[in-house]
Amino acid sequence: MNLDGSAVLHGTPEEVWTVITDPAVLARTIPGCESLERTGEDAYRMDVAVGVGAIRGTYAGEVRLSDQQRPSSYVMHASGAGAPGNVRARVTIELQPTDEGTTLTYSADAVVGGPVAGVGQRMISGVAKRMAGQFFTAIDRELTSGAPVETAPAAARASSTAVSSTGSPQAVPAGTPDESAPQVFSGTRAPAASASSPSSDVRTLAVGALGGAGLTLLGVLVGWLLGRRR
Amino acid sequence: MTTKLFGEPVRRREDARLITGKGRYLDDIGANALAAAFVRSPHAHARITGIDAEAALDVEGLVAIYTYEDLTGPMAEPLPVLIPHPQLHAPRTGYPLANGVVHHVGEPVVMVVATDRYVAEDAAERIVVTYEELPVVVGVDAAREARAAVHDDVPDNVAARHHQETGDVEAALAAAPHTLSFTQYIERSACMPLEGKGVHARWDADDASLRVYSSTQASTSVRAAIAAKLELSLDRVEVIAPDVGGGFGVKIVHPWPEELLVPMAAIRLGREVKWAEDRREHFIGSAHERQQRQEITVGYDDDGRVTALDVHVWHDNGAYTPYGIIVPIVTATQLVGPYALPVYRVVVESVYTNTVIVTPYRGAGRPQGCYAMERTMDRIADALGLDRAEVRRRNLITPDQFPYDHRLTFQDGRPVIYDSGDYPGLLDKLVALVGWDEAEALRADARARGKLLGVGMALYVEGTGPGPYEGGHVQVLGSGKVLVSTGLTSQGQGHETVFAQIVASELGVPIDDVEVHTGDTRRFAYAVGTFASRAAVMSGNAVALAARGVREKAIRIAAEVLEANPEDLEIDEGLVQVKGTPGASIPLRTVAVLSNPLRYAFDEAAKQATQFARAGSDDKPPVAPGDAPGLEHRDYYSPIRSTFASGAHAAVVEIDPQTWEIDVVRYAVVHDCGNVVNPMIVEGQVHGGVAQGVGGALYERMAYDGDGQLQNASFMDFLMPYASEVPDIVIDHQETPSPLNPLGIKGAGEAGVIPGTAAIASAIEDATGRRITSMPISPTELYDLMRDETAERTAASERTGAPA
Repeated sequence: MNLDGSAVLHGTPEEVWTVITDPAVLARTIPGCESLERTGEDAYRMDVAVGVGAIRGTYAGEVRLSDQQRPSSYVMHASGAGAPGNVRARVTIELQPTDEGTTLTYSADAVVGGPVAGVGQRMISGVAKRMAGQFFTAIDRELTSGAPVETAPAAARASSTAVSSTGSPQAVPAGTPDESAPQVFSGTRAPAASASSPSSDVRTLAVGALGGAGLTLLGVLVGWLLGRRR
Repeated sequence: MTTKLFGEPVRRREDARLITGKGRYLDDIGANALAAAFVRSPHAHARITGIDAEAALDVEGLVAIYTYEDLTGPMAEPLPVLIPHPQLHAPRTGYPLANGVVHHVGEPVVMVVATDRYVAEDAAERIVVTYEELPVVVGVDAAREARAAVHDDVPDNVAARHHQETGDVEAALAAAPHTLSFTQYIERSACMPLEGKGVHARWDADDASLRVYSSTQASTSVRAAIAAKLELSLDRVEVIAPDVGGGFGVKIVHPWPEELLVPMAAIRLGREVKWAEDRREHFIGSAHERQQRQEITVGYDDDGRVTALDVHVWHDNGAYTPYGIIVPIVTATQLVGPYALPVYRVVVESVYTNTVIVTPYRGAGRPQGCYAMERTMDRIADALGLDRAEVRRRNLITPDQFPYDHRLTFQDGRPVIYDSGDYPGLLDKLVALVGWDEAEALRADARARGKLLGVGMALYVEGTGPGPYEGGHVQVLGSGKVLVSTGLTSQGQGHETVFAQIVASELGVPIDDVEVHTGDTRRFAYAVGTFASRAAVMSGNAVALAARGVREKAIRIAAEVLEANPEDLEIDEGLVQVKGTPGASIPLRTVAVLSNPLRYAFDEAAKQATQFARAGSDDKPPVAPGDAPGLEHRDYYSPIRSTFASGAHAAVVEIDPQTWEIDVVRYAVVHDCGNVVNPMIVEGQVHGGVAQGVGGALYERMAYDGDGQLQNASFMDFLMPYASEVPDIVIDHQETPSPLNPLGIKGAGEAGVIPGTAAIASAIEDATGRRITSMPISPTELYDLMRDETAERTAASERTGAPA
């Protein structure tokens, strides 16, 4: 399925780029990210825990960034396979400066396979849309709260429309990447299904073709599979 | 003594099971299955502009959400037009889930699957569907005016123009000594089975096979439809109709969207999925029948004999035409009833409206046809000042005219040729049974009690048992048990009893040894379905033929063992014996054992069939060429054309001139369905039919408002007769066997409902002196009619002393 959308983030394209390609940030902003491991230049593997409705469980996936045109665009290749569900997504991300900060637009071509595809397009896209919403909320908070991102403007104020993301991000020392040993960044667990819906607090459309949601889409799959075994 | 069961009032064998809660209905199956619920259109005609399922995601236990986008291949195509017809020039059907536009309230838009029905409903409730409303067409007259179109590409709203004529009606009317014309209406009602529709599906991924239970009247065709729509090989699909809590026609339609979507979900999810229709869903999402506008012109002579009849019917077929134009054809062809009409022309325009589809409901167009014809007879009698019974008598087809060819084509594509009957006989019995000639005395007595009394009658002829065929399989086991299977389903009519009676009689075994199975494609894969009063005629004759085949083989085998002449053998009480030679006999169960030559003696009985136990000829194989092991036979009955049952009903009504409450105080039925297999069951069918006839005449209607909203979609608001509203019914039987089938029987299932509206309208007219032109009629409507100075009075009103 093709999934497109956009989000307005409170930071310059340069700031957004820094945040959105920082594994430490991704580790704590991708909803349900349990750990994110750097496996090479711009390549990561990660464990995501997801729980929405009957879609719940943990999943392992891989992400690779390419065609980077800092700070305006890059392509994310997200993939994962867990019998019998699997997903593969190629996501193009573009950053445009605006008065409010940056408009991030994404366009994904996602292939969802296995029995999980049987739950219906609106189930999958609905869940992924929600994940994307949580992801953008967390990213926007990273940009506006100042704390962990040096490049974030100290004066930046949180978007008035933003609501706090479920699950509190635990501070993680984002030290200099050590090329010799793979680095592991731990993230924040996803809320349980019963958690309230944040989602529409930032203007996101359609499914998370964006990195976070693209990856959570992987989580969605096995999550659903675990869910149906309950 | 011989086993004589055919014609006996054998008690229904299924009742002990059904009335003690041991029935197995659809909702008794799959306790752990996921449950489906549907988001249905709240608008009668609208374009879907958006579906937002976001809010449903928080519902714990939600499993899947399907919309049209999830349908692939044949599932994404419109549902089939089950019975195509050349005169159905603009057939339209819906999709399993709405594709862009909805055409009636209740059309399924989103399917939700969850851990149970409560969760599924909660999730469905949170799904937001946005619509752009479109112009709505409700009722035949609005459809006729066509200010708006139900389907953009059918601007005049006419789906079909069915036309039949037997001569130059214009000329015949011009030459007629008298003519009269009138227009009348009949409203919508519906089957309202106690059990709504329901579907359960289980997909076996390892075996790649699907088992579906559906509360249907046509399991074999549901099976074929599921295989076609879900692109499965027929041999991978089995469909079973469990105990079905009533059908009355609505469950002959298939595949219902749910019959395809539930199996689809079961396959995609790898889980059992079940859906059981709730009552509101049944009101707005199933089918209705009956609404017609009838424009009638009749020519007749001084004696009241009809010389020409010209009928133009506007038939409301609802939003779609999945069942073709069967109901309009039945109205057009059955309208002629028991009368000889020199020239007849009928045009039925079947029109679209933004309401629930119209498909056969017990009677299937016959009540409307009977209403048109019988009210015409009443008008002629009134115009000439003749007795209504006498006018009818003068127009009846006489017994010497059979077979009588109406030169019409019936709903099965075969000619309308009445096979047998005695209509004057019916009328005479009816007049005696209801005390027609004492009507004035009854009227006087009622008047003395401050009541208005009226009598009315209606006659009908009903084409029953249409083809193409039904089949039966009969097998005798070594235990002596006799298994009978037919693919045709049962909705509680008593098939288990009647088919057992037939087989026990044909085979000569105790009925307790006979076990009947119906509607299970695993047992019998070839069948058409239960509709048009055809079960007894079609499957009854099929199992009889199958039983005769078994009997023949049993006697052949027994003759060898007993070294007797087959002609000298008979089967009685499960014993094959030489006539008049006590002792020279062999049990049928032993014949069954011997019919299957064995090598292995797995039990005592089997020993008799092993190779060293039987002295067989050395130059003949144990199983002769052309023969087969086992004592069983399969056979089919395929009729040349339908067989025509008939009947006559009379109603006596008393009306309270204060409240205008209408009370049916006496109801007489003379019934002719050929040879009767079980009089108790036939009378039960008649009673049920009369109850529905009274409901259709006095209480039931579908109260649609101008926006296409059904305002009485519940049993709180939709009025059905209770036992207190159903009159005591006196029944007299007449048996004119059908020459068309081996058992000489005719159908009886729908008969009771057909003449109700016509007979009761006639009785109310007789009591009030006001012309009744629209049915059903409520006390309020009658009150308004009585107060309406412009309301037409009948000519008889002076004579009967009806209120001025």
